[in-house]
Amino acid sequence: MRAMSVARPWVVALLLCFSLTASAEVAIPQLTGRVVDQTGTLSSGDIAGLTQKLKDLESGKGSQIAVLIVPTTQPEDIAQFSIRAAEAWKIGRKKVDDGALLVVAKNDHRLRIEVGYGLEGALTDVTSRRIIDEDIAPKLRSGDFAGGINAGVDRMIAVANGEQLPAPQPQASHGVDLDWDTMTSLAPFVLIGAIIGGGILRAILGRLLGSVATGGLFGAIAWIVAGSLLASILVGLVGFVIAMFADAVNTAGPPMRGRSRGGWVGGGSSSGGWSSGGSSSDSGSFSGGGGSFGGGGASGSW
Amino acid sequence: MRRFLTVLAALATLSLTNCGYNAIQTNDEQVKANWSEVVNQYQRRADLVPNLVNSVKGFAQQEKDVLLGVTNARAKVGSIQATPEVLNDPAAFQKFQAAQGELSSALSRLLVVTENYPQLKSDALFRDLMSQLEGTENRITVARNRYIKSVQDYNVGIRTFPTNLTAMLFGYKDKPNFTVENEREISTAPKVDFNTSPAPAK
Repeated sequence: MRAMSVARPWVVALLLCFSLTASAEVAIPQLTGRVVDQTGTLSSGDIAGLTQKLKDLESGKGSQIAVLIVPTTQPEDIAQFSIRAAEAWKIGRKKVDDGALLVVAKNDHRLRIEVGYGLEGALTDVTSRRIIDEDIAPKLRSGDFAGGINAGVDRMIAVANGEQLPAPQPQASHGVDLDWDTMTSLAPFVLIGAIIGGGILRAILGRLLGSVATGGLFGAIAWIVAGSLLASILVGLVGFVIAMFADAVNTAGPPMRGRSRGGWVGGGSSSGGWSSGGSSSDSGSFSGGGGSFGGGGASGSW
Repeated sequence: MRRFLTVLAALATLSLTNCGYNAIQTNDEQVKANWSEVVNQYQRRADLVPNLVNSVKGFAQQEKDVLLGVTNARAKVGSIQATPEVLNDPAAFQKFQAAQGELSSALSRLLVVTENYPQLKSDALFRDLMSQLEGTENRITVARNRYIKSVQDYNVGIRTFPTNLTAMLFGYKDKPNFTVENEREISTAPKVDFNTSPAPAK
């Protein structure tokens, strides 16, 4: 009973902590399109026009630019808010990092151009500040939001077009890009799975047939998970080789077998993680390409 | 015997991955990469300072003390090597941070002074330099935040079970993190005084 009364203030304090952190920052809105207007300032015609422009930029040049209008970013500074938004949306191509974000906080009278690493050479801090001061801010001051944002976006597009960037991929194949990181992180599971699964299959089907079956099985799994022919062939081959030559584990005796069953379960459960990673892309509408930002750009006010 | 060795090798691979050896390595590299970005941005700021000082000099020659303060702080920053080894040496880390903090406060004093020179403030070159400085300070903030997060990941990995055993075995220690230099200054409420010159910004 006494323990309860001692514990109660702590519990209350903990709950307070939670509620405080929950309300500390403005949540980043969902990336529903190239232009996200949470204030209802732009007409649907404006949004469509802007979206078309930005779409043309992406298909012609590859760069992604997005516009976000929020009522306020308080208590955060607009710079902190916009870098969070940029990190969440991941605009711009992966590794090229050619994304830019125009954030307008309407009630704060603040705006910011957030520039991805790949565009920092053209859309420098100075250029961004000039776009804000010369093109956007004067129009916003007179209440012409659509005109200001359009002028700013036009100039951002013009600047982005001046930068040397890798050409856009024709009809981007939206499969999961199989980079080295994911491959190597999967490697232990493939290895263990092949040793154990291969052992079981080989015991049933015999050495050669069992190994071939293991390879085929692994190829099929890789095909489903990664959706790439190259990866499935590669993984299948690895599975085959391991199953063919990993004699030692299979015949190591009963204690090993108990252990290996645990390992198999572990490998199986982790496959859920892969597929969820794979299914996130390819959703018809606009999504960030995985570009990263480092806080470049400029802020301004009107 | 060969079988035994193969099993042992497989087990070793498994246990090293499971005990977080690879995770420690990944986090360690992430910390280093983020640290490089921090240093990179500090360097960028240091490179901006001479130009800034020169452009202010043209309009506000009488502010010798402030300009000298910035120049000295800049020289001090330049003399400190910020190799990744700094991360494993809390004392060197402190020194680096102190020098950068000094430059920060010298720069903010300079910016306060420039408020008194309307001509300077409307000068195109000065405005460009200011937006560059602003952008760089912002990048420093972002880089520091990312560094702080990666050190947090690293340190949590090092200090939680079971990876702490691996860390102990291989002698990995937790890494120093950024702290606010002027904690006391921030926690006391700023005084508002309408009689003297404008209060320091930020």
